[in-house]
Amino acid sequence: MTQENRLALDNCIKCSICVSHCPVAKVTERFAGPKQNGPDLERFRLEEPAAVHPSIGYCSNCKNCDVACPSGVSISAMNAKAKGEYVTLHGAPLRDKILARVEQMGKASRLAPSLVNRLGRIKPLRVLGEAMMGVSSEMTMPTYAKKTFLEMFQPKKITASKDKVLYFQGCYVNYNTPEVGMALAAVLAYHDIELTVEPFNCCGLPLIANGFLDVAREYAQKNVSKLQQYIEQGYRIITTCPSCNLTLRREYQELFDLDTSQFNEQMMDAFEFLNLLDQRGELKVELQELPKRVGYHQPCHLKAAGCGIPSLETLRHIPGLEVRDLDAGCCGLSGSYGFKKEKYPISQEIGQNISRAVQELAVDQVISECGMCQLQVHHVTGAKVYHPIQLLAEAYHLA
Amino acid sequence: MMKKNTDVLVIGAGLSGLMAAAKAVAQHKKVLLVAKGMGALGLSSGCIDLWGYQINQPDKVCTNPLAEIAKLVSHKPEHPYAKVADVLPESIDFFLQICHQNKISYLNTNRNWQLPTALGTLRPTYLVPQSMAVPDLAEVKELLVVGFQALKDFYPDVLITNLQKNTPLGAHCHLKTLMVKLANQELNANTLAHLLEKQAMLEQVISQIKPHVLPGMVVLFPPVLGEQLGHEVTEVLSEKLGCSVYEVANIPPALPGQRLQKALLHHLKTQGVEVIIGCQVTDAQITEKRCQGVVANSNGKIMEISAQTMVLATGSFLGGGLTSQSNEIKEAVFGLPVKVCPGKWSRQDFLSLAGQPFHEFGVAVNDQLQPLDDQGQVLLENVLITGANLAGCNYPIEKCGNGVALASGYKAGKLVGEAGR
Repeated sequence: MTQENRLALDNCIKCSICVSHCPVAKVTERFAGPKQNGPDLERFRLEEPAAVHPSIGYCSNCKNCDVACPSGVSISAMNAKAKGEYVTLHGAPLRDKILARVEQMGKASRLAPSLVNRLGRIKPLRVLGEAMMGVSSEMTMPTYAKKTFLEMFQPKKITASKDKVLYFQGCYVNYNTPEVGMALAAVLAYHDIELTVEPFNCCGLPLIANGFLDVAREYAQKNVSKLQQYIEQGYRIITTCPSCNLTLRREYQELFDLDTSQFNEQMMDAFEFLNLLDQRGELKVELQELPKRVGYHQPCHLKAAGCGIPSLETLRHIPGLEVRDLDAGCCGLSGSYGFKKEKYPISQEIGQNISRAVQELAVDQVISECGMCQLQVHHVTGAKVYHPIQLLAEAYHLA
Repeated sequence: MMKKNTDVLVIGAGLSGLMAAAKAVAQHKKVLLVAKGMGALGLSSGCIDLWGYQINQPDKVCTNPLAEIAKLVSHKPEHPYAKVADVLPESIDFFLQICHQNKISYLNTNRNWQLPTALGTLRPTYLVPQSMAVPDLAEVKELLVVGFQALKDFYPDVLITNLQKNTPLGAHCHLKTLMVKLANQELNANTLAHLLEKQAMLEQVISQIKPHVLPGMVVLFPPVLGEQLGHEVTEVLSEKLGCSVYEVANIPPALPGQRLQKALLHHLKTQGVEVIIGCQVTDAQITEKRCQGVVANSNGKIMEISAQTMVLATGSFLGGGLTSQSNEIKEAVFGLPVKVCPGKWSRQDFLSLAGQPFHEFGVAVNDQLQPLDDQGQVLLENVLITGANLAGCNYPIEKCGNGVALASGYKAGKLVGEAGR
């Protein structure tokens, strides 16, 4: 731990504001809460790594503690490291090793994606999976796409492209929702911007959240060196997944001491980029009227980025569209967390706020940037859930 | 670099910042609110104190704070209330109205309440959430204080013992305590509040209390009776137990302050205010006497925000609005001069009735809430100062923190809504 973070540890004034904003601690006493697992125990862990407490496994890594803290303490980073220490000391179940390897799961599913999807819907198999592996039989499994984004995307040379843009598509878009990447590509092409793609490793967040920091560090180093090359050539890097974005920009630096300072300037959410175009007067604002009312769910990792909700700014240009913020907090899934048998009830209990908000606003469609949030919002409400870029592509007649 | 442009930028998410944003957006301004963290409102009792004690007799609670504040304004023109007294009544009405709209009801009886705390002291306060509006204890014949064995930091016996020392209870008042036992080992306030919204859990609690309830009994609980807005655990308990049920103020985390914060933030979002928490304003671009914009750090990312008017609501030392070194105190965003008192900054007697001088440190302002230098000249025309950033009040002894925040935030919002700014 760097000296700077140590100092930040002492900045904790024990106000407990993080505890009162922790979605997990609110619904279960199994998690001692961000303060106790974070700055309180960190004091002991600095001297004796074995001081790490098993309750750390219940941290869902949503980062609401970081957002709430008025004293700038990196609580979630402390907890991620502690989880890593716990796994190093005590090992992890096979289930976690599998769930954390999103990239390998994606690759494996390529053999027969529709078969994988079908198997995921066979209840007796799921029950068996729960009994043998501890993967909840209730949670909706993500469906794998017939073709990956990288297979579908046809690079198009745009002479006089206004910007050099590289897309870090992330595993979920590549293997599960390539239509999100395709919508982004169409929107950018419509603005005469060429999109460059590249196979990347998983950003590593699922590994970090499951305590496999060493594997995540390897991915991080590989991704950083690739991204660095593009940045040196004057590329901007855009993401459609807020968790990938935050991991690349912040976690690599906080957890692995990698220099990502340049990423902060050059890496942005797709809608931050579109808003930049808008500020330069280059965003096409003749959009088709979309007379519909949709809910919006802000992913925790977008909230943690502290840049507001860039998509809502862009979507304001769409005539007739009414977007209502659910303002319901964490959805509860937190990536692989809610798939675990012992955590599924916690994740569903947290998700109740989402169902209440959707009911109250009486919307049957919800938009959200994060693939896993999309899955959970659909799981708890049955609503149609998709990425805001798909809505924008629709309004440009590109869908 | 990311850029944002807005009519009004509010910096800080405490009560004064939330009020400023609410009033500004009510006047159709485009409002952006940014804050480093969640703001201290969620850590507060949830009650709005205006003024606690009589100016002439500081050990006696005042019944009519508005009258006391009127006296104060003529006595002490440098007190923040002197700058905002003109809007105090309307700011209270505005606050009550927003709360009502957002499913959290506050009572205003135009006088100070004296509410029991978890320590069995009585605390003067003015606007009270319905769930905390304990009636005059002198009239109560049967009082039951209920704790939860799994909940730390609330001990009914302590409350009762101190209450008997501190309060003129009725001669025939019977006091009783009860500890509710749940299967849970240890619960924090938020977890318990969430559990109490489950019907089965509430039934369990009721079944343990019901045998002890007598006609006309008043039952006091720790401030954990539910987390959602409009979900009245207090009402259900009261109905099922057949008696009056209240929450008493306790140390954080406590739910009434969190509910108020949630309600006000929700209000802002539904009114179209953009709210960004976790975004720290680090620098300001100033030319002449105007602030053109500020620079903010959002989790490592730098953002430039330009606005016609900025409202400074970053709080005092606790929230990081004022930073202190051994010989200097500065306001953190604009580097405004902080008015300190001559001589000693602190008193040895920590809980002195005269108050700690450092609480009075803050930025001096004029009636328009613009910051002033020590000559009384306006330093920044389009920056308005609110809440704990203001110099001259000693909230812990005056019991005026939320009152000053409410009125000054409201006034800042009102001023930015007026044309020509």
